[in-house]
Amino acid sequence: MLRTYLPAIVFVGLGTLVGAIFTMMNSWFGPKRKRTPTTFKQDPYECGLPSEVQQGFRFGISFYLIAMLFILFDIEVVFLYPVAVQLRAFGTFALIETIVFIALLVVAFVYVWRRGALEWR
Amino acid sequence: MKHEAPNIDWAGLSPVIALLGGAIVVLLAGLLRSRLVRERAVPFLAIVAFGASLGLGIWQWGEDAQVFIAKGSQATLAFDELTLMVTFIVAVAGIATVLLSWRALAPREAAHGEFYALLLTSAAGMVAMAGAQNLVTLFLGLELLSVPLYVLCATEMRRERSLESGLKYLIIGSTGSAVFLYGLALIYGATGGTDLREIATGAAGEAGGDVLLLTGIGLTIVGLGFKASVAPFHQWTPDGYEGAPTPVTAFMAVATKAAAFGAMLRLLDVGLIDAQPDWAPLLAILATITIVVGNVGALGQSSLKRLLAWSSVAQAGYLLAGVVVASSLGVSATVFYLAVYTMMNLAAFAVIVARERETPWGDDIASVAGIGVSRPALAWPLTISMLSLAGLPATAGFIGKFYLIDAAVDGGYTWLGIVIVIGSMISLAYYLRVVAAMWMRAEVAAVSATAQPRLAGADPEAERPQWELYLVAIAAGAATIFFGVIPSPLFDLATAAGRSLGLL
Amino acid sequence: MTIHLSILLWLPAAAGLLGMLAPRALGRWIAVAGAALTFAYTVVLIADFDTGARGLQYVTDETWIAELGIHYKLGVDGLNLMLVGLTGLLFLASFVWLALTDWERPGQMVFFFGLAESSVLGALLAQDLALFVLFFDLMLVPFFFLTGIWGPPATRIAAITKLFIYTLVGSLLMLTAAIALGVLSAQQGGGDLTFVLSDLARVRLSEGTQQWIFLCFAAAFLVKMPAFPLHGWMPDGYRNMPLPVLAVFSGVLSKVAAYGFLRVVTPLLPDASVHFQELMMLLALASILYGSAMAFTTTDVRLVLGYSSVAQLGFIVLGIFSLQGDGAQGAIFQAVNHGLVVAPAFVVVAALALRAGGSEDVRDMGGLAFRAPVLAAMFLIVTLATLAMPGSANFVGEFLILFGAFNSKIAIAIVAFTGVALASVYALRLFIRSMHNRVGADAVSRELTLREGVVLVPLVAVVLFFAVYPQLALDRSERAATQSVRVAGALAHPEETRIAQEQPTP
Repeated sequence: MLRTYLPAIVFVGLGTLVGAIFTMMNSWFGPKRKRTPTTFKQDPYECGLPSEVQQGFRFGISFYLIAMLFILFDIEVVFLYPVAVQLRAFGTFALIETIVFIALLVVAFVYVWRRGALEWR
Repeated sequence: MKHEAPNIDWAGLSPVIALLGGAIVVLLAGLLRSRLVRERAVPFLAIVAFGASLGLGIWQWGEDAQVFIAKGSQATLAFDELTLMVTFIVAVAGIATVLLSWRALAPREAAHGEFYALLLTSAAGMVAMAGAQNLVTLFLGLELLSVPLYVLCATEMRRERSLESGLKYLIIGSTGSAVFLYGLALIYGATGGTDLREIATGAAGEAGGDVLLLTGIGLTIVGLGFKASVAPFHQWTPDGYEGAPTPVTAFMAVATKAAAFGAMLRLLDVGLIDAQPDWAPLLAILATITIVVGNVGALGQSSLKRLLAWSSVAQAGYLLAGVVVASSLGVSATVFYLAVYTMMNLAAFAVIVARERETPWGDDIASVAGIGVSRPALAWPLTISMLSLAGLPATAGFIGKFYLIDAAVDGGYTWLGIVIVIGSMISLAYYLRVVAAMWMRAEVAAVSATAQPRLAGADPEAERPQWELYLVAIAAGAATIFFGVIPSPLFDLATAAGRSLGLL
Repeated sequence: MTIHLSILLWLPAAAGLLGMLAPRALGRWIAVAGAALTFAYTVVLIADFDTGARGLQYVTDETWIAELGIHYKLGVDGLNLMLVGLTGLLFLASFVWLALTDWERPGQMVFFFGLAESSVLGALLAQDLALFVLFFDLMLVPFFFLTGIWGPPATRIAAITKLFIYTLVGSLLMLTAAIALGVLSAQQGGGDLTFVLSDLARVRLSEGTQQWIFLCFAAAFLVKMPAFPLHGWMPDGYRNMPLPVLAVFSGVLSKVAAYGFLRVVTPLLPDASVHFQELMMLLALASILYGSAMAFTTTDVRLVLGYSSVAQLGFIVLGIFSLQGDGAQGAIFQAVNHGLVVAPAFVVVAALALRAGGSEDVRDMGGLAFRAPVLAAMFLIVTLATLAMPGSANFVGEFLILFGAFNSKIAIAIVAFTGVALASVYALRLFIRSMHNRVGADAVSRELTLREGVVLVPLVAVVLFFAVYPQLALDRSERAATQSVRVAGALAHPEETRIAQEQPTP
């Protein structure tokens, strides 16, 4: 039983060790500055304009909804593309399959549309 | 390069197609403006879809359809008798659930189309899960089953408990799914196949020694245990059952259990059959814990839904006995008990729904007090259901328990048979409390100083006669008695399901 | 293959169901008619019984659940014949009693009562172990409702729940034991799974298996009786049952348990029966002594009868586990006798309570015989039968039991004799305290009313009949009773082959 896990244990051990060494090497060999960091250093981004977004600001729920729907319908293309490229190799079956797939997408689209999810509120 | 199209047995797949097609139709019909369509036609279409699935299942009985055969491997989905039995159970539970939720609050709040579409989708997931002969299909089925249920639990959106129930179920269910997936991955790693036959071949020589396989089996059982509410993975059950809309609770209690046990039977008794000496003792211990925890947990409950939730935990323990022995007798007994369990639980939940709408007591035990006098048509089904759950004779529950104990003794687990009856003894205390409340206590006055306020958004149609609730309650109660007296038809189905896995 | 036993079995339940659905005034009489018809059936059965024939008569044998080897097999032989008659009689009497009294929800009452009669008959007639277990467990369900709905409101639910769980603990263990008996016999014998008793008797399980199965069965039967250490449910249960219900519960249900020993345990588990013979006889002895002592000290009339039942059932167990033909025959006969005596005794209790201002405490009674000679006479007959006065049928029963016990364990039999003496002490005490002495404060002496008489007089007449003609029962039960303990008896007393020779192996 131990033998089965030996490689895994060695792997975990080595990983921890190497990780720890790399972390520490930074503080051993890196330049050591006594100065405290400036306020610029503590900004979320060191470059660009200061953030306009105040604490407690919320995005409208519509952003999320649209973004989610976008991803849903966008990702579907990923599935369509390879089928389109290799349609000849897969034959009629793939064609029917794709049509069913698109039909289902249309159902989803009709649903989203009729439920008013595409209207900006 | 030329690819071969997978061989799909459309006839065999038809029960699932009916469910999913029904889901799409129902979803779109729910978009129509007409109130009549939404509140009458949509539930009707859902019933038609469940009915079609049931009918197509009957048509496919005995065909042993293997759908999705890719080149050189076994079908990923088998529609053998076991799958079809689960299909029947799910379809019957689905029809009952639609009837129970027809005039309920939940579909009105969540929109009718979505509610019933989710129900149908979940049912399709259950069938797929029970028929899966491939780990990937199995997981797909599990998720297809679970995700709609998470949503359904929270469909009474204005009620905090419902949201809580949905969230709890989501979190715990996802944990279960994750554990399950991890287990599947380990099994794959140990045996080098995702197909159950390949796994069986791969596991043949390994049993007993391979830690990877054992860990995989353990995690898989844990994952399925979450779904089937096997202790100690049952903690979500009482809260989940109590908070969810009662029709959804009925569906969860009955159909999910059938699917989870169907999958458990197939996975363990086909894929991992050679490892049986390893997992059987573990499962037997789990069964014991489940029986004890479930029955003891139910003792102090005053909410009927919580009581049934704990009792469903205990019943899962009884069912495990049929899985442990890994024999065709065990499979038959489990399937038989699942069918019986469906009837008795549906009767109970139908009565609870009816009383929730008639009284201000919600699902508290006070809501059924004294109905032996005022509503005998509800009191009898609930009485039969309780006595059957307790395993008293002349009900199907007795025969079911008899069968399970028979399988356990036959498989050399006599002590598990004794654990089952000890569990039944404990269970009498709480089942009888419900029966006593119905027949031997006076009805609690509806208007009293301590009465709970009517739940927000309570059903305005409550005053109308709700014949469909009586229909479900009486039909399920009558079936419980019928199969307690003439069990042979159900036995034939269960035996066929038992034989379908190719066990001794 | 006849249908007679099926008709007999289902008639009461069907009549009860009709009685529930029929209009209020008519319903109870439909049920009474059903019970009367049932009783008539049993009388014909007893008269028509072929004493000379070996084995079962009027057999009905259908496969019920093929997969589990369970048969719907009913049959009558000497063991259950008289008990079936007793059931018919006592239920008829109680049905009449129920019909003459006013109850809430009478429809449901007659239904549950009819169901009770059917299930008791089922347990007695069943010749398949699974069927027996089914009916044995089912018996309890109607009594749960009968007590829980119509008992005294303050305590009924707690009492009946206690009774139910207590008695079902044993019964459920018996379920597992019965299944194990069937499955293990099939595995050992190599045949198909079957629960038919005559098939099971062909296979003799290993002694260790027999022993745990025996303990499970014994637990079920001893609780139901109840026997001494397992009688915890009895006081609460007896106090809370309506009297007509209690009459059959005490008169019939406990006998089914005793019958179970002879029907199932001694023929199927002979080695274990011998192994636990002394334990069972000692338990029986403890029941006799404890029951008698408690019956003598308690003041609640119901409990006097309850504890006397404990003592009487002790005698019956003693007879069974003497593993002698005489003892077993005496046990069966005594089971019938005790049922015949205890039911009228409860009618008398109801009459006494009515006259003592509703109290069922002997301290509130007394002097009730002054203006009620007929009632007093009836009660006296019942009392004398209870204490097994020579000339009564109970005397014959106890004599046979003690005869059997003497032949197997002399020491136990001698101690058991004191039980006979104690019986006269508590029985006479009850009679004297209630009928004679000073008239109680709220007590009124009134003669037997017509309603009471209708129930009481026929029962007492049957008691007298058996006192005169015990041969009716003894002739019919002798062969079967001897047969039931033959194997075990031969094991227990190998030197004494008398019984074995009398009954050559078929």
